[in-house]
Amino acid sequence: MRSEQDINRTIEKYADTVRRICIIHLKNYDDAEDIFQNVFLKYALCDIAFESDEHKKSWIIRVTLNACKDLLKSFFHRKTTSLDELIEQPAEMPQDNREVLEAVLALPQKYRDVVYLHYYEGYTAAEIGSILGKNVNTVYTLLTRSKNLLREKLEGDGYER
Amino acid sequence: MNDKMKKAFDQIHAEDELKQSTMEYIRRNAQAQEKPKIKAYRYLVPALACLVFLIVGSFVYLTPTANISIDINPSIELSVNRFDRVVSVKSYNDDGKELKAQLDIKNMKITKAVEQVMANDTIEALLSKDEILTIGVIGNDKEKSEKILSEVEACTEKQKNTYCYSASTQEVEGAHEMGLSCGKYKAYLELHSLDGSITAEDVRNMTMREIRDLISRLSSDSGTDPQFSGNGGQQSSDCTESEHNGSHSGKGQHGKNHKKSEK
Repeated sequence: MRSEQDINRTIEKYADTVRRICIIHLKNYDDAEDIFQNVFLKYALCDIAFESDEHKKSWIIRVTLNACKDLLKSFFHRKTTSLDELIEQPAEMPQDNREVLEAVLALPQKYRDVVYLHYYEGYTAAEIGSILGKNVNTVYTLLTRSKNLLREKLEGDGYER
Repeated sequence: MNDKMKKAFDQIHAEDELKQSTMEYIRRNAQAQEKPKIKAYRYLVPALACLVFLIVGSFVYLTPTANISIDINPSIELSVNRFDRVVSVKSYNDDGKELKAQLDIKNMKITKAVEQVMANDTIEALLSKDEILTIGVIGNDKEKSEKILSEVEACTEKQKNTYCYSASTQEVEGAHEMGLSCGKYKAYLELHSLDGSITAEDVRNMTMREIRDLISRLSSDSGTDPQFSGNGGQQSSDCTESEHNGSHSGKGQHGKNHKKSEK
């Protein structure tokens, strides 16, 4: 059990990262809340000694991704439709640069993680590979393909490379 | 594209409300969930229950409720548990040891076990030599003993020279202290009441036939007892293995004298 200060500090520091991953994978706020609770509770209870902030960050990313995957494949989630989707209410999304986000969300699920980790967090392919448990070459392939897909989408909307 | 992407993602922030509710949730739940020791107990309880069940079960299974004493000259005793199965075999003299080594009757039903004993070569040979086989059921529970007795009787009725009886545990209390099987002990008590000089040592290696003959002789003419024992001393030298009619008591005495000189 970690101290409350430690937990609060961690939440402050990594909440945005977790929220971004939630946005990529999940459609509504309540699911994101679930993920937040799971991830940070796991952090509070685990007794891993993190070597560095980098280590801690990649741990949190890893845990968040797994939590998202678990939620998505859960029985309840597969068999129900959220109210937000029915009303077709756009998830709380910032207005600026909206197209970019939409383009990312339009990608098949398997590309989204790599895109986020590479373009935003700035991880190298090797680091992404170790976080996602994938071969480095697989990551390269995923990156290239998602780059092409994004380019198609965004260029069509008048974006240059 | 990198910049755009960065800007786009930069705009996403975790809502304060979300952070607050998460902190709140963790404060509430962390304490409750952080008890790995209780989790260990959760596995321990069924494991212990199984263990207790196993111990109690084997205790119940291995506790003998009745003994079956089989005597010719080899004396063996079978301990039977409440499920009518043989849980242990004990031998009470050298012949018994040999017989025990030949038998593999552990965990068998009583009837099967007795059948196998009867079918044993040594026993068959002895029976064909007109030896007496006695089978005794010793137990505290009368009903149970009688049931076992009737089963055993059913197994042995084809054989001549077999006698079945039942006895309570009290009757044969002293048997094992003297190193006799229950059947021999009963015979010994009978013999002892007729002739006080008989000891357990003598009885141990006598065959049931010898004991029976000795008893019948002693009881039929108990008045002439001293004469016989005197005779016995004389006869012992020319007493052979073959059974002369008159030498039964003599043989018995012979065995006794022999043993005594050994001591």
